[in-house]
Amino acid sequence: MAITVDNLTNNTFEDPSRRAPLITGGLDNDGVTEVVADLAESPSPPKIWWVLLGVSAALTAMLGSLILLLIFKGVGVWGNNNPVYWGWPIVNFVFWVGIGHAGTLISAILFLFRQHWRTSINRAAEAMTIFAVICAGMFPGIHIGRVWVFYWLFPIPSEHLAMWPNFRSPLLWDVFAVSTYFTVSLLFWYMGMVPDLATFRDRSTSKIKKFMYGLFSLGWSGSARHWHRYEVAYTILAALATPLVLSVHTIVSFDFAVSIIPGWHTTIFPPYFVAGAIFSGFAMVVTLLVPMRALFNLKHVITVRHIENMNKIIMVTGMMVGLAYTIEFFIAWYSSNPFELFAFQNRAFGPFWWAYLAMFTCNVFIPQLFWFKKIRTSMIMSVIVGIGVNIGMWFERFVIVMTLNRGFLPSSWSYFRPTWVDIGMFVGSFGLFMFLFLLFCRFLPVIAISEVKGTLAFQKHMALAGGYSDEPDH
Amino acid sequence: MNNEADNIEQQKLIGVLGQFDDSHTLMHACEALRDSGVKKMDAYTPYPVHGIEKAIGIPRTILPWIVLAVASGGLCIGLGMQWYTNATEQLLPFWSGYEFRISGKPMFSLPANIPVTFEVIVLSSAFAAFLGMLVLNGLPRLANPLHRIPRFKRVTNDKFFLMVDADDDQFNLDQLKNNFSDWGASDVEDVFLDQTDWKLPAFLKTVAVLLLVLMLVPPALVFRARGMTYTGTRLHVVPDMDWQVKFKTQTEGPLANNDTKTEFFFKDIRAQFAPLPGTVSRSDQSGDVEFFKGIQQGSDLHSSHGTPAVLASNQENEPQEEQPATTDAAVDEPNWVTKIPSQVKVDKDTVLRGQRQYDIYCAVCHGYSGEGNGLANNRAVALSVSGEASWTEAKSLYDPTVIDQPVGRIYDTITNGRSTMGPYATRIKPEDRWAIVLYVKALQKTRKDAVTAEADKPADASDDKN
Repeated sequence: MAITVDNLTNNTFEDPSRRAPLITGGLDNDGVTEVVADLAESPSPPKIWWVLLGVSAALTAMLGSLILLLIFKGVGVWGNNNPVYWGWPIVNFVFWVGIGHAGTLISAILFLFRQHWRTSINRAAEAMTIFAVICAGMFPGIHIGRVWVFYWLFPIPSEHLAMWPNFRSPLLWDVFAVSTYFTVSLLFWYMGMVPDLATFRDRSTSKIKKFMYGLFSLGWSGSARHWHRYEVAYTILAALATPLVLSVHTIVSFDFAVSIIPGWHTTIFPPYFVAGAIFSGFAMVVTLLVPMRALFNLKHVITVRHIENMNKIIMVTGMMVGLAYTIEFFIAWYSSNPFELFAFQNRAFGPFWWAYLAMFTCNVFIPQLFWFKKIRTSMIMSVIVGIGVNIGMWFERFVIVMTLNRGFLPSSWSYFRPTWVDIGMFVGSFGLFMFLFLLFCRFLPVIAISEVKGTLAFQKHMALAGGYSDEPDH
Repeated sequence: MNNEADNIEQQKLIGVLGQFDDSHTLMHACEALRDSGVKKMDAYTPYPVHGIEKAIGIPRTILPWIVLAVASGGLCIGLGMQWYTNATEQLLPFWSGYEFRISGKPMFSLPANIPVTFEVIVLSSAFAAFLGMLVLNGLPRLANPLHRIPRFKRVTNDKFFLMVDADDDQFNLDQLKNNFSDWGASDVEDVFLDQTDWKLPAFLKTVAVLLLVLMLVPPALVFRARGMTYTGTRLHVVPDMDWQVKFKTQTEGPLANNDTKTEFFFKDIRAQFAPLPGTVSRSDQSGDVEFFKGIQQGSDLHSSHGTPAVLASNQENEPQEEQPATTDAAVDEPNWVTKIPSQVKVDKDTVLRGQRQYDIYCAVCHGYSGEGNGLANNRAVALSVSGEASWTEAKSLYDPTVIDQPVGRIYDTITNGRSTMGPYATRIKPEDRWAIVLYVKALQKTRKDAVTAEADKPADASDDKN
């Protein structure tokens, strides 16, 4: 075992003449393997893992029982009513789907841009995507009322329904988009894990572990011929996932944009939603990875520079979202459409002004803290800002849906109130997410070991070529 | 696994494996081997080493072409599915499409179909890339003989390996072992294929036969059930609102206390309300049926839909008010009134009002002159001739069958409609309906040839128009 942890190199310097090292602490290939495998191989995970697992399991159980309540009693247990007939469920759906997009962006888009620093974070980010999409897809799945005929959403011949889905409807585009996104993300995540599962297979001692890791690593042997096809497949999947992630949240935004409601029917929604999704997704990745790297001894692989890079992306996408808010107001005024103007005035100054304030503060003002290097390299501040951004993004979707509360007919205006089931399901979805993520941390490789080793080789190669500043003791 | 070590005859040498400690040494060894003409070799690394494809001589994979082919298929399937299901109907004898007819918009909306098509392309391509990679790699391959070598476990950690296949032309075991040491290999090993356990255990045959027998049980049960009748309660998995908790009419209503059968919610224990004061039922006989329905008091109050029956012409012009029930009338034709009811003043004002109402409501089909040449009727007749619509031609008011109709019958036609003519009861007040009847009669009088043989009784005619 060749790890020296005594010097944590500060790799956040911004000297363009020398590249910052991405793996610190003098880790070599073996060291990387040890650091990552330790989490799954230790006889018992840290105590905090058990505590969090218990809490999240309880919340997941609560979610399950609330879903049963919903199916047996009906959609009336939610606060959805006239005029706000889309309430928390769709807000939660868009919230979770948006969070999921960061993982794919890190995996696919940063890969195509040859950003080597993505290798430390992409596995955990992709796992976050999978679990976030599960939490997201659950909400439209259970909100359909007659959940037992859910198969009518798909183009399956049905004598009972005696018709086919309406392919012109964005709600149906959603079905295809989210299903495709989940499947492709799952494939991408699993394919990336095969070599690392092989690593676990070769190190495991118990019979069950050997069998399970052996089965799921498909007999991977590290053959160069296999690696060649693997890399080509990986690149193809990255090239597919890139337009996919852009199209999925575009299609989700079409749920609103394809309608005719003022405040919804606007072409800014697709790019605005996608930017917002990346914004909230990265915030969630930061919120997850900062505690993870501290608790599970991953500080040399997920370094401060990685977190700082993500914070920079958070700031950029946050400013895009802030720009979108401003443009929306401008267009509302420029359009001379009194209903459009009213929709926006109502959002900012109507009965839900407090939600608008929360959204604006958390999305526009708080990320501006990242202009300061001290704040964006501070782990605690990163988590605080990340949580703030997620809160702000939830409120953004909430504010958008609450446009319904004051529509064309003033006699229909009414204040929306969520029920305890709404709130319980939302909290429970966090429980489900946390539960799955904790299991992932314990049983699966949380960092892309083979990819990090590739980065290590690249880093050494660049150091030899004279472009890098490596660790001082090397 | 049992007799591995003992069975040396079952061990077949398939290659020699060299271990290297870093990628550069490995690459040099690969290049040297390739230069010496070895083709069947492979390197094993913990991560993809750049440049190794060239060093070994690995050709570029055809995977991208496979993905392209599958993507094209995905495009056709995605678009074709949407076209078939939303833009066609009864194209095939099964699984007919379902056309969404929305305001005459085009049946096939390509722009709206793009999102789903795109997703189907991405989904199919992703599967093609992943599964194609696995198939081309020959994965899953759980029984790789290399995995039996303990040192080889380091390949997924930090060691690099190079294996030369025994069936390569240039294979020379001793020479290769020497070469490997020269090239900096930290270890060289022989790789054996162990064929000891290639025979399946005997018990599997019994298991297979057992499974086959078991597999025949469900179809047997199905065939048995087809020949029987089942008298038990049907299994109804999804209630789907098939049994509704509601109160039907003419049954007992809700109970006041839910448990005692003595107290009902409504005084008259029925589930529905009794008719409220001030309301009149449709078949109510207590009102003025002559005025409101055009039917003589006391006669049968059947609804008068259906083909107009031709009444005996001698009925119409008899001046009496009460007619005895005649036998030659069609069975379901009630006794129509033959005089305008007394509530309606038969004077010029009424006729003019009737003309105004007629021009508004009736002329569109029956024509301003009453000949049946209204615009709507002409168009509908043209459509029915070409088969696009079904239409009963609007009658000319001078048609002998219409001339013979008593005024009550005409009133009823306006009120309830006839054939493809709709009812105008909701749109024209009873007074105005009688005014139209009066106007119709006036129109009929304007035509000499429309007047029937009974016109030689001018006194009756003027009686009618009193």
